Amino acid sequence: MADLAPFTGPDAALGPTYLAACYAATQAINNAGGVLGHQLSCKQVDTRGDPADAVPATRQMFASTSNLALVIGVTSDEAASVVPIINANKTVVFAMTGQSEFDHTHFPYFYRLVPPDLEESYAMVVIARDKHYKRVALAFGNDIGSQTFVQPAISAIKNAGLQLVANETLDLSATTFRTEAEKIVSAHPDVIFTEALGSTEATFLSEVQSLNGGKFIPIIGTSATISPAWYKSVAAAVGASNLSQNFLADNLVVETSGPAYTPFKAAMDAIKSKVGNTGNFDTYLTSPGGVHLYDGINLSALGMVASKSTQPAVWKAAMEKIADGTPGATVVHSFAQGVAALKAGKKIRYVGPGGPTSFDSYHDSTGIFQINKYDAKGNVKVIGSITAQQLRSVS
Amino acid sequence: MEIFLASFGFGLITAAVLAIAAVGFTLQFGVTDVLNLAFGAVMIAAAYVAYWLNQAGLDIWLGLLVASVAGAALSWLLNTVVYAPFQRRHASPIALVIVALGMTLIIEFGLQAIVGGTSVSYTMASGRTVQAGGLQLTVVQLVIMALAIAVMVCIHVLLTYTRLGKAMRATAANRPLARTCGIRSGRVINLTWLISGALCGCAGTVFAMNAGSFNATSADLFLILILAAVFLGGPGRAYGAMLGAIVIGLATEISAAYVTPSYKDVIAFLLLFVMLAWRPTGVLGAS
Repeated sequence: MADLAPFTGPDAALGPTYLAACYAATQAINNAGGVLGHQLSCKQVDTRGDPADAVPATRQMFASTSNLALVIGVTSDEAASVVPIINANKTVVFAMTGQSEFDHTHFPYFYRLVPPDLEESYAMVVIARDKHYKRVALAFGNDIGSQTFVQPAISAIKNAGLQLVANETLDLSATTFRTEAEKIVSAHPDVIFTEALGSTEATFLSEVQSLNGGKFIPIIGTSATISPAWYKSVAAAVGASNLSQNFLADNLVVETSGPAYTPFKAAMDAIKSKVGNTGNFDTYLTSPGGVHLYDGINLSALGMVASKSTQPAVWKAAMEKIADGTPGATVVHSFAQGVAALKAGKKIRYVGPGGPTSFDSYHDSTGIFQINKYDAKGNVKVIGSITAQQLRSVS
Repeated sequence: MEIFLASFGFGLITAAVLAIAAVGFTLQFGVTDVLNLAFGAVMIAAAYVAYWLNQAGLDIWLGLLVASVAGAALSWLLNTVVYAPFQRRHASPIALVIVALGMTLIIEFGLQAIVGGTSVSYTMASGRTVQAGGLQLTVVQLVIMALAIAVMVCIHVLLTYTRLGKAMRATAANRPLARTCGIRSGRVINLTWLISGALCGCAGTVFAMNAGSFNATSADLFLILILAAVFLGGPGRAYGAMLGAIVIGLATEISAAYVTPSYKDVIAFLLLFVMLAWRPTGVLGAS
């Protein structure tokens, strides 16, 4: 399993988050006997969050990994440049990109369990409207992954009858953002929509707070802000209490209890020592990368077992059936349960901690959104959900 | 006018941080003949030393002192273990630049392997925001500016009134001649690495305090600004670096207010090109 993602550069926190999911899923799969006698392991491949570095890294990954079963990761930073290469190598990828260009482009080996960025933008606007915010400022990083939210958000803000009062792009390589912060504070927004990874968000928000006389302006983040690394750096800069009172984020629905959550939590807890000190470990249990890639790996492994093949062209069809379900299928919540059911001759449907999967013809499965917040200790709390009708009302 | 004053204030604080770093860098380059592009990486390594102590409960201002010592030690070690052996073997200046670039990557990624990709912040109060007209500066930023002024005064006293300062200037101007005149240039160079390294450590910590959050690669772009300030003022010229820091600091922040923040560094470099076209050796460089 190759985790193809940024491990260095401004988005360096993303790769390790996905790696945690990889460690957890593969260890649980290996403990259940592995896949067709194969033991799985995780390999990290650093794209530096830059397409120019990602392409040679991807080619090198294929050249040096003869038994590559699956690629995970692939953020918006590098997806456009590496997905065609992965597809040409006929290897299945579970990608974390939300780029809308993948909504209607058919790559047979590309799968996605996270929503398109434009839907996330709509979700942020729905949250703002429901909180009765009127004046909205945008502050997104200048990386590809963050900028894809901007135009859909601007349209949705208009459709929702809200007012866009400022739109600042944050250069992730810059060291201070006082001018951008001053422009936003001067525009007197009720809320700031944001996604800026690395140290940018922490610096920017602390400067906004400072220039706003110490008063914190409410924030609505993307699902990427539900991450231990993001929380750790921002809470340290602006205060955990401020963040818990003034921060909301959209996130795809993830289970926080129940039959799918229990084996997921056990698998994650089992690899806790492998993950460095990147903040509150429990945040991995609700981070999109942690949950949905864990599901992607389990789906792939079950697809291989069900099809009795490690050839992607063969097992991906079985994987889709296990994900979407077929009439009379037994619902399973972990790899071990799935293998047991398959051995008993049953058809199965896997429903993991990320909820039920339903792939469309472009292999997207978006699900529905929930609204998250952090408590004062950095634990993620679900405080509401967003329906498809609500999204459509601002799209 | 209010926007101008606000960005002028932002420019002053950027200039203050930049000045401490640029003076350290230019002293190092002028006296030792090493264009130490690993300066930014050492800055961040020292900033992390302050961070670790701060997390252990030490006040960040004491952490700054220790970081300065760490910066001095790291810089001296860098020269002793890496640069000096290359210089003894008469490596060309461009070879030393490549070595320095390599050291930047080694230090940055080595540090990132230890601390991870997560950004960190010091535990400190930034104090209230002082407002005067459009100027808006926190108490911490005012202290950083005062610290920068104090450092500049100390460097002025060192270079003008002390034997060591005069020996540093002589070594920078003509090392063989200085040696002939009885100056122990090897000792002067070692002391220069220690002093400039201390400035590097100090700059790293105030940089991190000012930014509010930092990680192992945070100083990458800042190093470019340091180079701009140094070359604008005249490489090897401490007073030139001070002047360059003020010009670059103000130019970046004021242009950010009136053009777009995305191009503020581009505008600083356009300014540098214009100045260098006028005086290729820098404003205070030898003609």
